[in-house]
Amino acid sequence: MDSDRDDVFSKIQNVLSDALGVDTEEVVSDATLQGDLGAESIDFLDIVFRLEKAFSIKIPRGELFPDDILNNPEYLDGDRITASGLVKLKEALPHTDLTEFEKSPDVSKMADLFTVDTILKYVEGRLAAA
Amino acid sequence: MKFAFIDAITELTPGERIVAVKAVTLAEDYFADHFPTFPVLPGVLMLQAMVESAGWLVRHTLDFAPIVILLREARNVTYKSFVRPGQLLRLEVTCRRLSESDSDFSGIGYCDRMEVVKGRFSLRHVSVTDQERQGRSTADRIVKEARARFALFLRRRDGVPCAVVDAPSQDSLT
Amino acid sequence: MSWIWIDHFVEFASGRRASAVKMVTASEGYLQELPSGDPVLPAVLMIEGMAQTAGILVGEARGFAENVILAKIRCARFDDYAKPGDRLRYDAVIDSLDDRAGVTSGTVFKNEAPIGQVDLIFSHINPADRSLDLPDHNFVFTESFMSLLATFRNHGVEKVEQPGAG
Repeated sequence: MDSDRDDVFSKIQNVLSDALGVDTEEVVSDATLQGDLGAESIDFLDIVFRLEKAFSIKIPRGELFPDDILNNPEYLDGDRITASGLVKLKEALPHTDLTEFEKSPDVSKMADLFTVDTILKYVEGRLAAA
Repeated sequence: MKFAFIDAITELTPGERIVAVKAVTLAEDYFADHFPTFPVLPGVLMLQAMVESAGWLVRHTLDFAPIVILLREARNVTYKSFVRPGQLLRLEVTCRRLSESDSDFSGIGYCDRMEVVKGRFSLRHVSVTDQERQGRSTADRIVKEARARFALFLRRRDGVPCAVVDAPSQDSLT
Repeated sequence: MSWIWIDHFVEFASGRRASAVKMVTASEGYLQELPSGDPVLPAVLMIEGMAQTAGILVGEARGFAENVILAKIRCARFDDYAKPGDRLRYDAVIDSLDDRAGVTSGTVFKNEAPIGQVDLIFSHINPADRSLDLPDHNFVFTESFMSLLATFRNHGVEKVEQPGAG
């Protein structure tokens, strides 16, 4: 089991490089998956699949990328995420600062929250708990 | 039947970029099967349109030295939206690397300014130096037909000739 | 002209893997000419052959409840191409499957020798989902595709295994 942080990050870089067709040099910690690295919604699924294989873990639906928020009418009010949706989002992204996003919680901007670091923290958390 | 999935070339920068269009019409044969109650352009044909666009850029840049251009690899080709009969698909293809024997490209397809497909792919070029002597006349004929078809493509839909930017110096080709 | 790029199944293990054959002939339409005189089947049509094999495999695993749509070509790589008289075989395997998507990988064989690899992701679109501007029925699994599976089952060449068997 990998405990070396650099090794984990390097594996994540390879996953994103393979899934998104970008050079590993572009996969920096604060790069957003959608904005900076060009991820489409189907790519998020590809990323989850590759992470599962790379780290021998099973990632339950919505645990890494809380897309169930987008599909649940309780969490959406038109184009914006509701208060209960924001609570769900905070649970899903415990290490992400949501203060800016909360000011204008547009669904379209939700993808900007997912950075390479989001994945790193999630994977580290899973490996530590194993 | 000719395998031809672009209709016109609208921009061309040798060694760098090509923009081509493909009109989509219900008269195309595959719509009968794909799908009978919901005709949409097969995803692989959107890729084929990008591959052909890239192929013409290769031919023009290498002065039609390659006789045939084959798709070697496609990576991370994502489909975002359906393309329906009655639409015009615009392919913007960028060259990432070009040599005599092969090339790498990235491409995006648009319909009404909306991204419908994007991906990366690599081509292999089969040139006259690779061929046996008996293949020579076939090779010459293929090149002659290719040059003629390319000349036809070099027009915009409104009949104005496509502007071809001056070829880059040899240094810019890997 | 038809858009069916496989001829028949030779193996079908429900929910797991499937194998389909395609013969290449000079009298079919979409061939690309080579200087040697032999035309080849364009690579994108080998991708389509695998997509149809894998798409039916994925659809059948979920009882054809959803429209199975090609969403991403993760990778498609070819070391060789097929000429008239060649027999192609597409071996597809389900790597992952849920109600949103199916991930498949597969090898393309020409006359029993491997010539390519095609890895795909399919999206599942539920016809009942009215939020998308799509038909309210299953438009993908047409009679043409379903008859490929029916023919395979009727011939009993290899029984369709139920999930959990083998």
